Amino acid sequence: MTDRVRLDPATLVRIGNLELVARWVVEGFISGLHRSPHLGYSTDFAEHRPYVPGDDIRHVDWRVFARTERTYLKTYEADTNTNVTVLLDVSASMGYAHGGISKLQYAKLAAATLSWFSRRQRDRVGLVTFAEEVREIVPPSARHLPHVLHTLERATARGGGPLAGPLARIAQSQQRRGVFVLLSDLYEPASAIARALAPLTGAGHDVIVLQVLDAAERTFPFGDATTFRDLESGERLPVTPAAMRARYLAAMDAHLTAMRGALSGGRVDYHLIDTSHPLERVLFDVLARREFLRTAV
Amino acid sequence: MGLLAPLFLLGLAAIAVPLLMHLVHREKREPTAFPSLMLLERTPAPFTARRHLRDPLLFLLRALAVAALALAFARPVLGRARALLGGDAQQREIVVLLDRSFSMRLPGRWSRAMAATDSIIGSMARGDRLTLVAFARRAEALVSATEASVLRSALQGLSPSDDGTRFAPAVALARELAEKSEAPRKVVVVLSDFQRSGWDLSAESRLPAGVAVHPIDVSGAASVSDRAVRAVTVRAVKGSGEGSTRAIVAARLSNVGPAVRQIGVRLEVSGRVVQQRVVDIARDGATAVEFDAIPLPPDAVPARVVLANDSVSGDDAYHFRLQAAPPLRVLAIEGRPSPFVSRALALNDDPRIEVLVRRAEGATAADLVGRRVVILVDGAFPRGLGGDRLVQFVREGGGLIAALGEQASARTWPSAARALVPGGVGERRSGTMALGTMDASHPAVGEIGSGALLATRFAATRAIDTTGGVVARFADGRAALVEHALGAGRVVTMGMGLDGTWSDLPTQPLFLPFVVNLTRYAAAWRAAPVAEAIGARVRPSDIAGTGASAVGQWAVESPSGERSIVGGANAPAALELTEAGVYAMRPRGVPGARARLVAANVPSAELDFATMDPSRLVTAVLGDASRDAAPATPPAEPTPAEREARQSAWWYVLLAVLLLLLAESVVARRAPAPSRVGV
Repeated sequence: MTDRVRLDPATLVRIGNLELVARWVVEGFISGLHRSPHLGYSTDFAEHRPYVPGDDIRHVDWRVFARTERTYLKTYEADTNTNVTVLLDVSASMGYAHGGISKLQYAKLAAATLSWFSRRQRDRVGLVTFAEEVREIVPPSARHLPHVLHTLERATARGGGPLAGPLARIAQSQQRRGVFVLLSDLYEPASAIARALAPLTGAGHDVIVLQVLDAAERTFPFGDATTFRDLESGERLPVTPAAMRARYLAAMDAHLTAMRGALSGGRVDYHLIDTSHPLERVLFDVLARREFLRTAV
Repeated sequence: MGLLAPLFLLGLAAIAVPLLMHLVHREKREPTAFPSLMLLERTPAPFTARRHLRDPLLFLLRALAVAALALAFARPVLGRARALLGGDAQQREIVVLLDRSFSMRLPGRWSRAMAATDSIIGSMARGDRLTLVAFARRAEALVSATEASVLRSALQGLSPSDDGTRFAPAVALARELAEKSEAPRKVVVVLSDFQRSGWDLSAESRLPAGVAVHPIDVSGAASVSDRAVRAVTVRAVKGSGEGSTRAIVAARLSNVGPAVRQIGVRLEVSGRVVQQRVVDIARDGATAVEFDAIPLPPDAVPARVVLANDSVSGDDAYHFRLQAAPPLRVLAIEGRPSPFVSRALALNDDPRIEVLVRRAEGATAADLVGRRVVILVDGAFPRGLGGDRLVQFVREGGGLIAALGEQASARTWPSAARALVPGGVGERRSGTMALGTMDASHPAVGEIGSGALLATRFAATRAIDTTGGVVARFADGRAALVEHALGAGRVVTMGMGLDGTWSDLPTQPLFLPFVVNLTRYAAAWRAAPVAEAIGARVRPSDIAGTGASAVGQWAVESPSGERSIVGGANAPAALELTEAGVYAMRPRGVPGARARLVAANVPSAELDFATMDPSRLVTAVLGDASRDAAPATPPAEPTPAEREARQSAWWYVLLAVLLLLLAESVVARRAPAPSRVGV
């Protein structure tokens, strides 16, 4: 993985075609995994077909050969494909950018990549965009990848509110267990986030939480005394960064630590994403860790 | 270093803009967008922090860029005119001859001259004395000082005049100043356009040895373009009514430069536009325009012909006086009735001649009042007039035409009148006789041509016993027409009569001009000019026409409204015209007297803008010394504007501005970029 050219998120955004970007990123990081990092699958026998030269003889059904003296291969298909639904936070705070791409742009790339990756392993993919309420829903389906990508492209950052409401409605609408990937900046107390996820985890869904933050949110590089405006509420606050930086960084560290602690148990897999980092590297870490967890379990 | 446009330095005030923006805009700028204020606390900036410059280097670069931009617009000039006058420490007597003639009104010339003079003043060292001499047709030392402020103050009040150019008076004044000065170095700087028509230097126009001369030509390289009304003539013609007179005004227009088309010319009388014309004038050409006849007022009124304005003002209008000329009043005395002379004179228009006919025996001294000329038509002497009175009349300036014809007789002419006729009345000689020779250049007969007059045959003649003043002789050599002066007057004596007894001359076409010419000559009549050139000296009597009424003091009002006194004691005898326009002269102490007008215009020679090589002046004023002093006399020093144009220093300053802005851009980029919101 380290030998490959890292893909700058800003460069990926300029490409514009989400499907192309997603395929490119997936092909990049998949080669680094030791085994197929299926999010969740099972396979069953599908049918026999005649052997043709070149087929792997390991798939020859020797029982049939013994009875009929004809060479047939066994073929399988995934008859219990998993629903992978991306939950994308499109509140106004996700539109923040400090010199690079915005958090929403980064999250869109990540969502597209994960969707394409899931579809590649024949999972059903879906998408829900939400802010203070659910904006758009693309139900999980094996044929909905183009729809998901199109919806992602149209998503814009505006509005905002607590996660609890939208996530509760999403949990109510799901009939089948599946995997949910939540992409949000999680500007709520960790306990509130954990409570908001409870309807999903309680229903038996696997939840992957990807907290997306800009580098400026973690380093607070501002110099001049100025007024800060909340992107969601519009509230203003006079701040002298020089005097505030240390306290902010400590508060942010505490917030992230609390978030990590609150979301570390149960069926939640928590990751922190920095928009200045290469996307394929981030996804590789996410999927590799999940593969490790699955193997460990 | 100097500056051509120092006012642009006011732009330095713009340096305060970045500072003010820092202090003012800082509080008003857009707030910084942030995803959430959840982790932030209110921490207002202390007031002292606002007074600190955010980035001193950035501010310095911006301030320098603004200052350099202001400097570039101020058009810096490197170097000073000090080199022109020499840079040693010796005390100098500097005489600046500044041309302020009319031609200096041409675009750029005066400003260049002022800038050069100012530069010379600025180059003065301690102990230097500078005398500023303004010259046109005359030269005048305006100020002599060692302090630049005094000199500059005098310079500020100067402007080009309407007068012509003459170099000799200026050089003479410079010589006088140089001779008086005891300074070890003497420098004469001539600032002029070196108009060729102003050249009047002679061998006497020399400066003392050791004086350095520096001519500075301010005419510039640009071609001259000017339109002007060069002259106006007014021709009187008889009107339709009895005794009425009309005038036809004609003007000559000139054009220096490209051809002009459809240019308007208007005739104004008493400030009102009377007629207008549209004319074309060829490149560097001239044309004439004639207006329709207009009524000629008995009293003088101001008038002018005006051309559409161009870049050179002052010569677009030609001022003149419009007035019916007073009639030439003549007393014709006849021994026997003869209509020829009186009728011929009455036919003349310009001047109009008013003839009073008297028989010889009936004429009295009262008939002489107001007369300019007495004509003895057939030689009969007016005994009632008396010989003494007639002689007195001539001595006081009157004219006498004595045509010694059939009625002339030595017996009838009194002895007191013998001074009137050279050698007395001669004997009558019968026999056909013609004129043999004639002085065609004499004004009494020159204009009519001698051919027709020489062909005239006379049945009898009378001898004139004189050898001087002969204008024409008979074929046998005897004097036929003689003129001589008597006192202030003139006497024309003829050896034949004008009554038609001895010849058919009165019936010939040439008789009218012949008699009119003789009358005008005897009266010493000359057409009063409708306008004068600036620089002319005009006596009130010249305008009045009669000397008697012009005695005393006259109050004069110039075109610009300036008042002065002319005539009488303690006042100049004549008015010197110094500005273009119409002067009004009124006799002092005569309430209700009508003003007599004098129109003045730019001298025609001054409108010839051809220039000469300034070195010619140096050679003329230095003589042989000019060869020796050649190294000390550099070519004409460029004006600050020309030096600035050559140096183009402002381009380099602009380049510096560009570099400063580039540096500013680099420095600005290194600063943290402001937060922005986008998707």
